[in-house]
Amino acid sequence: MRKKLSKALVGSLAALIILAGCSESRGSLDNAARSTTETAEQKQHLILAIGGEPDEGFDPTTGWGRYGSPLFQSTLLTRNSELEIEEDLATSYSVSKDGLIWTVTLREDVKFSDGEPLTANDVVFTFETAKGSQSVIDLTNLLAVTAQGDYTVMFELQAAQSTFVDVLTTLGIVPQHAYSANYAKQPIGSGPYKLVQWDKGQQLLVEQNELYYGDKSPFTQLTFLFLAEDAAFAAAKAGTVDVAAIPSSFSTQQVSGMRLEALQTVDNRGIMFPYVPAGSTTEQGYPIGNDVTSDPAIRKAINIAIDRQLLVDGILEGHGTPAYSISDQLPWWNEATVVEDGNSEAAKQLLAEAGWSDSDGDGILDKNGLAAQFNLLYPAGDALRQSLAIAVADMIKPIGIDIAVLGKSWSEIEPLMHANAVMLGWGSLDPLEMYHVYGSQFAGVGYYNPGHYTNETVDQYMKQALAATDEEQAMELWQKAQWDGSTGLSAKGDAPWAWLVNIDHLYLVNEKLDIGQQLIHPHGHGWPITSNIEQWKWME
Amino acid sequence: MRRSVYIRICVAAVLLLLPLLLAALLSSDRLATQLDQRNLAPGLEHLFGTDWLGRDMFTRTMKGLALSIGVGFLAAVASGLIAGSLGLMAATLGKTVDRIITWLIDLCLSVPHLVLLLLISFVLGGGVKGVVVAVALSHWPSLARLMRAEILALKASEYVLVAKQMGRSAWWIATRHMLPHLLPQFIVGTLLLFPHAILHEAAITFLGMGLSPHQPAIGIILSESMKYLSTGMWWLAFFPGLCLFVVVRAFDMLARSLYQFVDPARFQR
Repeated sequence: MRKKLSKALVGSLAALIILAGCSESRGSLDNAARSTTETAEQKQHLILAIGGEPDEGFDPTTGWGRYGSPLFQSTLLTRNSELEIEEDLATSYSVSKDGLIWTVTLREDVKFSDGEPLTANDVVFTFETAKGSQSVIDLTNLLAVTAQGDYTVMFELQAAQSTFVDVLTTLGIVPQHAYSANYAKQPIGSGPYKLVQWDKGQQLLVEQNELYYGDKSPFTQLTFLFLAEDAAFAAAKAGTVDVAAIPSSFSTQQVSGMRLEALQTVDNRGIMFPYVPAGSTTEQGYPIGNDVTSDPAIRKAINIAIDRQLLVDGILEGHGTPAYSISDQLPWWNEATVVEDGNSEAAKQLLAEAGWSDSDGDGILDKNGLAAQFNLLYPAGDALRQSLAIAVADMIKPIGIDIAVLGKSWSEIEPLMHANAVMLGWGSLDPLEMYHVYGSQFAGVGYYNPGHYTNETVDQYMKQALAATDEEQAMELWQKAQWDGSTGLSAKGDAPWAWLVNIDHLYLVNEKLDIGQQLIHPHGHGWPITSNIEQWKWME
Repeated sequence: MRRSVYIRICVAAVLLLLPLLLAALLSSDRLATQLDQRNLAPGLEHLFGTDWLGRDMFTRTMKGLALSIGVGFLAAVASGLIAGSLGLMAATLGKTVDRIITWLIDLCLSVPHLVLLLLISFVLGGGVKGVVVAVALSHWPSLARLMRAEILALKASEYVLVAKQMGRSAWWIATRHMLPHLLPQFIVGTLLLFPHAILHEAAITFLGMGLSPHQPAIGIILSESMKYLSTGMWWLAFFPGLCLFVVVRAFDMLARSLYQFVDPARFQR
């Protein structure tokens, strides 16, 4: 029996260690050796552990590169590091006075990596495929797209849409002749790199596209390793990667041979509250609504009780800023949405006025027999969201609201997210995102508006902003949607979210690698850091 | 000989009661995040240091151990009851019942333990309840087999056969002849389930299974510490791991000493 128990002990410990090992070091470090032998020669091969492996593959028509920089494909227009619009595949574009017709002229020297020329037909094919894919790319406003000769494309919109330019900067063009069901795994495009091999869950090998029309990067080969954050950090410490994305908790550590780059972002994290009372279900039968979070007093009290600066200092190690909206600091952000936070007394008063009291003395408020308790879900593997969730729950507890923090996989969260609060993140360089996240017509559409938020006035402002042909007018309308003095989608208005922080993207970068002037990074998914790869340099 | 057994029983009991006592005494306030106290190495203020959210690791570890011991207790008692009754039924209710129960035991033993735990916990929707029930429902087979074999051997023993021939009732034989022989075996067997149950509780919470990261459970503490080991925060895993080891060894020692106590002859054999 003694032997048996020791065996069980050893076995269990071994199982723990093996399991820990599995979760830690997804992906191989085989490339380590290659990296070190190469440093002696001219450095042409970079190894990057920057996360963000797209599960659905590399098809722009279903969402790859929707935050820009598709790498394998190129876009009609692009944004420079100052966020100004520049031509990429296009040589020029024009918009009709009523805002309904957009005409784009293409470069004539562009070839896909398989040698076939890129023509207007490919652009038409791409937009039609993306429109038909019913994915995250919203092209419902696109009435028709037609080729006018080989190198001119005409887009006809149902209604004027000021943000259509953002679609042109993000949707990578796919080749009509080489597009199949397997395209997401074997993409062919006109971007700076082409895919060589993708070992899902482990690594992606890419090499330079010799036929690329733009400036060429000095790096002919890139290897993307898909490592967990701690494994990426360990790899950086061991000197086996040139760039590693790390969480803020690791940012206080010095790593020899690497420097820390804290890149400014609009990548935010916040709590999405179910906005409506419980009772209904989605088409798939998932429950909608939550009786506690549907009370505006609860949502507002949480918004003013949270000490956002403390979260930035304590969890992000100072590498970030407090977030008050989905679009802090962007041109369409309304500064009036900043609420005075970290004020639990005001929060308590607000709750008391709304009829919440601790009638049974258990430290948790209640109202008509309903206790102020709800679940807050977060994706289990995400250490940052977990830390934020735990810290917020502890911050909120003293005002009498009990938040149960639960880590789940995305597939578990999806059926639950209409009836439970979820720690989500957004952040786009396109105001259309605000329309998706807060627009009533997007209630329950994918991850857009899972809390089923609706406000007719807000909807009106956003629709008018989209239809505006004047940039300044559009910005003003987006700002009014957030707060117009009496209502809005921000914490001052309906408070369907409690935004917490904007996080800096932190990378450990090899001291010899210059990563150029980076643009403000949007929310992850894709690789914003590589969007200016042609500017990267190796300095011996 | 007897004295050393007593001493070992006392030491083990203290080692097991200490975390329970400390868990009850330590304030839950120390489990809350204290962002200005994060990443502190072990010291007088925080014996086991603090984690990346400033939570006191000593409090978390003791509360986690208390949960482990609680789950271990519930699981061992439930497993013991299941094992005892199934073993008894198999040995006394005829061949068909015996075959079914033996088949059930073989079935449960044939599935790897951890997989069985995960499956049961998953079906029950995770959480503390899922963990308790999973551990309770997966540890009985080996003890049930032991009980069945013991009873079958007893049934064939001479003094039971003689008693039967002398016309004693089945109840009389069961209570006078069988129970005194079986009870020590049963108690010790149940006690020996404790360390297994505790380890498996740690293993299953290590894998998540729907427990909140707020919940101080040893498995959760250990699995989260893995993320921070590479930053040099060794105390996050070291002390909780060590404490788990000590508690498991203490239970093992207690069970063994009791075994020696109730059945010295058999132990020496």
